[in-house]
Amino acid sequence: MTEIKPIFSSLLRSRAGAVLLIVQIALTLAIVSNAAFMINDRIAYLNQPTGYEEADIFKFNVTTFGKNIDLVQQFELDEAAIRAIPGVVNAVMTNQVPISGSGDSTGFALKPRSEPAPSVRSSYFMGDEHFSDALGVKIIAGRDFNRDDVIMSNNYSKLPTVALVSKQFAEDMFADKSGLGEVIYYGDNPLTVIGILDHMTGPWLSDSKPNNVVVFPFAIGQTIRKFIVRTEPGMRDEVMSKIEDLMLSLESQRVITDLTGLDEKKADYVAQDRLMMNMLVMLSVILIVVTALGIFGLTLFNISKRTKQIGTRRALGAKKSDIINYFLLENGLISCIGLVVGAVFAILLGKQLMTLYSLPQLNTWFVIVTALFILTMSLLAVYAPAKRAANISPSIATRSV
Amino acid sequence: MFLHYLDLSWRSLKRTPLVSFLMVLAIAIGIGITMTSLSVYHMMSMDPIPAKSKQLFMVQLETMDEGEGWWTSDNMPKQLTFQDSENLQLAAQAPKQAAMVKTGFAVHLNNPDFKPLLQPTRATGRDFFSMFNVPFLYGSVWSEEADITGDSLVVIGESLNQQLFGGGNNIGKTLYLDDEMYTIVGIIKTWSLASKFYDLNNGAFRETEQVYIPFAQVRLKELESWGNNNGWKHEDIQTAKDKLNSEILWLQFWVELPDQQSVEQYQAFLNNYIQEQKKVGRFKRDNPRVVIRNVNQWLQYNEVVSEDNKILVGLSFMFLAVCLANILGLLLAKFLRRAPEVGVRRALGASKNQVFAQHLVEVLVLGLLGGVCGILVAQLGLMGIRHSGSGYEALAVMNLKMYLSAPLISMTACVLAGLYPAWLVCRTNPAIYLKSQ
Repeated sequence: MTEIKPIFSSLLRSRAGAVLLIVQIALTLAIVSNAAFMINDRIAYLNQPTGYEEADIFKFNVTTFGKNIDLVQQFELDEAAIRAIPGVVNAVMTNQVPISGSGDSTGFALKPRSEPAPSVRSSYFMGDEHFSDALGVKIIAGRDFNRDDVIMSNNYSKLPTVALVSKQFAEDMFADKSGLGEVIYYGDNPLTVIGILDHMTGPWLSDSKPNNVVVFPFAIGQTIRKFIVRTEPGMRDEVMSKIEDLMLSLESQRVITDLTGLDEKKADYVAQDRLMMNMLVMLSVILIVVTALGIFGLTLFNISKRTKQIGTRRALGAKKSDIINYFLLENGLISCIGLVVGAVFAILLGKQLMTLYSLPQLNTWFVIVTALFILTMSLLAVYAPAKRAANISPSIATRSV
Repeated sequence: MFLHYLDLSWRSLKRTPLVSFLMVLAIAIGIGITMTSLSVYHMMSMDPIPAKSKQLFMVQLETMDEGEGWWTSDNMPKQLTFQDSENLQLAAQAPKQAAMVKTGFAVHLNNPDFKPLLQPTRATGRDFFSMFNVPFLYGSVWSEEADITGDSLVVIGESLNQQLFGGGNNIGKTLYLDDEMYTIVGIIKTWSLASKFYDLNNGAFRETEQVYIPFAQVRLKELESWGNNNGWKHEDIQTAKDKLNSEILWLQFWVELPDQQSVEQYQAFLNNYIQEQKKVGRFKRDNPRVVIRNVNQWLQYNEVVSEDNKILVGLSFMFLAVCLANILGLLLAKFLRRAPEVGVRRALGASKNQVFAQHLVEVLVLGLLGGVCGILVAQLGLMGIRHSGSGYEALAVMNLKMYLSAPLISMTACVLAGLYPAWLVCRTNPAIYLKSQ
């Protein structure tokens, strides 16, 4: 530790190089710690559980243009035909598809619209008694729909009177009560909650309440509808290949589009978030490499400038380890100053990002861990040149004097 | 003199190949990353219709009751009700106007051999085409009369024309939209926009539609919206007619206003319109607002450039700063090591300015090399983005402006980094070095 004083005085003599390193390290810490925080945020977002076996489920759209088709009856036939395909567990006709990025939502309240009451926003699905099984979501309390609950119609003149709700919706709507048997209002229409569904995600992963779901027993025949099909593991591709021909053979006056696996739907939906995450990872990795190379290069340069000085020290009895320690200490000192400046800068940057964009506040741990990581990297970058310096022969000192 | 400096720079770079390589690499990576995010940003924020962006305006009306908010920055809804869209279209108080909505059909030729194609369709007024400079390949838009009667006429795009008929002039032929026959009156050339500014609801970077029909068809055929339908009050809507008379917001309305005077006139008309609607029982606010925004204001209001992209551009410029600090260090080392040589040149009569200029030329050469290599790095980055399936395929490209910006940013940055080392080296006192030679 006695070397700190000479290190300081030598640093003060060649300030420019040290200042540049400090700037580099500080900026690196500020960028990487904020990037790491954002990456962590995205990972949590991308990996949140949806409640579905995404690899076994697929969807497709049916757009019917024939005007003389009884849509309700047709969709019943379609569903039955799909369920008869070997490998299909269950299929349902519905209004929207989970994690697809498009769908319907509305506010539900504990009182009719005429009486002011707090409401909870939720996405809503419409489907028959096959709905929960087609998505593979379990009923954790109460019961599933039965055939008598389901309203089959091609208009909204008669509305369902019961509903299934997701676990998350029940918690948000009913607080400490289970919600089973309670009544919720869609506008002025009362719906009795007959069952609670296990964790499941609605159409929008990025929603503030992604897991709020209400399901109506409603099979509505409209010109644009969607089907969700769950297959046995490994059977999905085979089943998917049969869908279009089967559907058109049952009724040709329609178009089948967007035949997609649920995992692909999700991948499409999150593609931009995944891209952002990947770009931040790339940016951080390259940045750390560039900074490490900078430290490496500058140390090499310092050593070549001080060859004589090192030789003299060696001739005066300094051990190899003393030389290595000297450079490690010198660099450690510079790095620490850079990291302290960088930490302040990182927090300021985090604050700025938080005010400008919808980002949460930077967690200080990310700054600390990133700083330790950068310190390790910089010491590693110094070690190789320092070892080379330690091998400078003491005779150098005498040769040119 | 400049050529001489160039020659000297080239020799200097060759003399220290490793350091030169490291410097060029550092700049290339810095520029590459910056250009990758900047290119996407540039394409996203590009003016989609520069010739007219200041004359085209999107209309917003505050139709909600007192106390009802919206999620936009100024609490204004982004779309209009059918009643308002139709009223404004019929009032025709702007030189040109177009009410519009995205709908869609199964397009076919009523021929069992042709598999129907599902096509997004825009129902709009005939001014749409002249307002947005839509180029026609064959034929033209439907007549003014058809705008009002809503005849079954259709304008299709070049690629749909190709799919249906294998190309060629097919004006006067018919096609089917769902199960109704339409006559083709116009075929437009492939028409791509930097962003689909006129309807940002369903992805700002989607392609323009291939099918266009008169707006009056929305009422006649009770067409459904393929875009967003947003309600703010509970209405009992059972039929399509109920929806047309409802307060649901689901259409867009654009006007062309060539000068300030017409802007003011149109705003006055809108204020007047909203007051009149108030008299018939709509717009229950004390002072319902009217907002019109031109194309670029509209893009900004809708945050077409994603937050992620802005963050990335900022971070990549900081990244470039790190690369520059790196280069600055290397330049300092390199230039100062050359001090003895400079001392001799100074003693032989070179002025400070000449030494300074020579070193700046050297960093300029570095910047140019780094910028050019940076373009290669950026191409790799953009290729990665195009293959990420994020819908940025058309955006992750460099245009001429970006190709020119890359070396320009690079050389500016290098000059900034090189100023201090060049200044240090030109201050070299010749005497010291002459002594030790």
